[in-house]
Amino acid sequence: MTVALESLTTCFQGLLPAQLFTCSADGIPNAAYLSHVDYVDSTHVALSYQFFNKSRRNITENPQALVFVPDPDTGQGWSLRLKYVRSETEGPLFDRMALRIEAIASYCGLKGIFKLRAADIYEVLHVEPVAEEVGTVRPQSHQAAAAAASPIFTINALQTLSARIHRADSLETLVDSILLALEESFGFSHSMFLVPAEEKDVLVTIATRGYSENGAGAEVRLGEGICGMVAEARKPIRISGLMRGMLYALAMHREAQNPDSKRRRIPLPGLPNPESQLGVPLLSRGELVGVLCVESEVPYRFHEEDKASIELLGSYLAIAVQNMLLQERTADTIAEPAAAAPPIAALAPSAPAQTRREVVYYAADECIMVDGEYLIRSIPAKILWRLLSAHEATGRREFTNRELRLDKSLNLPEWKDNLESRLLLLRRRLEQKCPQIGLISCGRGRFALDVRCELALATRP
Amino acid sequence: MIEPDLRAFLEGGLGIHIGTRTARLEPNGARALAVKVEEDRLHLIVYLADAAARRVVPDLRANSAVAVGFARPVDERACQIKGIFVDVRPAAGDERRVIEEQWEWFRANLERIGIPRIGTSGWPTWPAVAIRFRATTVFEQTPGPDAGTLVAARS
Repeated sequence: MTVALESLTTCFQGLLPAQLFTCSADGIPNAAYLSHVDYVDSTHVALSYQFFNKSRRNITENPQALVFVPDPDTGQGWSLRLKYVRSETEGPLFDRMALRIEAIASYCGLKGIFKLRAADIYEVLHVEPVAEEVGTVRPQSHQAAAAAASPIFTINALQTLSARIHRADSLETLVDSILLALEESFGFSHSMFLVPAEEKDVLVTIATRGYSENGAGAEVRLGEGICGMVAEARKPIRISGLMRGMLYALAMHREAQNPDSKRRRIPLPGLPNPESQLGVPLLSRGELVGVLCVESEVPYRFHEEDKASIELLGSYLAIAVQNMLLQERTADTIAEPAAAAPPIAALAPSAPAQTRREVVYYAADECIMVDGEYLIRSIPAKILWRLLSAHEATGRREFTNRELRLDKSLNLPEWKDNLESRLLLLRRRLEQKCPQIGLISCGRGRFALDVRCELALATRP
Repeated sequence: MIEPDLRAFLEGGLGIHIGTRTARLEPNGARALAVKVEEDRLHLIVYLADAAARRVVPDLRANSAVAVGFARPVDERACQIKGIFVDVRPAAGDERRVIEEQWEWFRANLERIGIPRIGTSGWPTWPAVAIRFRATTVFEQTPGPDAGTLVAARS
């Protein structure tokens, strides 16, 4: 082999289409396009087997193949002379390839339609540059691409993230610190943080960074989109060349005409045209604490060598989030009752009402609408309704997490109620949809309701 | 054999690859720059940079078997035409315009899916050779279960 295969890992991101040349036993050549070539080890690659097509038939007759893969960083094409070895229908490699296919299909709302039949393993016999696909040195001015070529998860960046995490004193500041550090230290300006919702197999977005709307409350089912796939598989997913992958999936969909595929596209908060996405499950002792998703318009943003760092980062963030939740709950448990607590002096008096907002609680749906527009549902809706009702009846503005936990009408779970996550979600939804109502933190386990409008409360069945 | 709409697709600035094979059935391949469908709608001329042609022309001269894959990056529509090699010659000066026009369309298509022109700026387009072949079969190749379906055949 003239060139080491491991030096070509950038070619295996699926950013540019690859070509596969085969030949039947009776001497008829075949030229086909490939969605993806996967790096296996220094002497092997894997090709996805999704349909029993002519290339696959040829390989069963004649195991020789030739593949062209272009390097997305330089444009240099590489020719890999291959020999088919075996097919894998399970195991880490198969799972990784299947997950990528499913994640892209799911992002298009086409989950479950495209199945990976096997990961076909080929020995790489020879590697050489393609003479008519000559690479060029990237000019210095191409900053986005240059940034893409540099490593991301450096020790310095991780140290900065760690310092921010240690300074956080609440779930809100912790999550915001993580997203801020991802931008300042790692250069990821678009990110989102999701946690398990009350409803089984649903994730809810509690914080985002870099988008025009904060996206709080956006829900994703397990297995839907990159975040849903990450939560379902409990494995990181990294996709480069997402647009190409989506075009490939949509082309297959048009061809397949599967009646089950008429599903709505998932309304994820996110970039309109993401090229790279990275989803990380936040796992602590096997429990899914949340999902962190970052995305970029740069096609090849996340590198192969970052994979271990990404998994480590996920574990670290999971522990940080879980510790914060436990800390808040513990502090809350030993706190004095609200009546005995000192008044919240820092809170400014409510501003005079200049606008009127109609807030309606729909009991059957456990959901709140503001001026006819959906605000929030489930436990956060019940919490807000309790606060607003108390405020209307008595003028009360100060509340504690503890009293919410003791309120049986909210039906919070006895263990792991995720109250802090729910309050954070509620706060973010109010900021976005009804900024005249605010929840202001007043120290651990205490907060104030800040109403700066005239409220008209109503309940409906 | 090559219906008008297929011809328009083929000549619309696609990713084109030519496949051949050796006497030992080893596959070979090269990237092509452009294609021209002749008026008889049976013969095609595929244009390759000189550097690319060197790898596949010996195979064509030895056994005549040829397969050409076409793919449009913006929607992944693809087809493959198989046939019999007829002849090869240097591309003439007046064919350069066809080559450069289709090549630019192809690069514009790549740009539409986020692949900048700089990535292909070093790929040679001239001098080129013209490989003429007679089509025998056309196959659907858009990704999906119908990839490989025979669209047209002529012996």
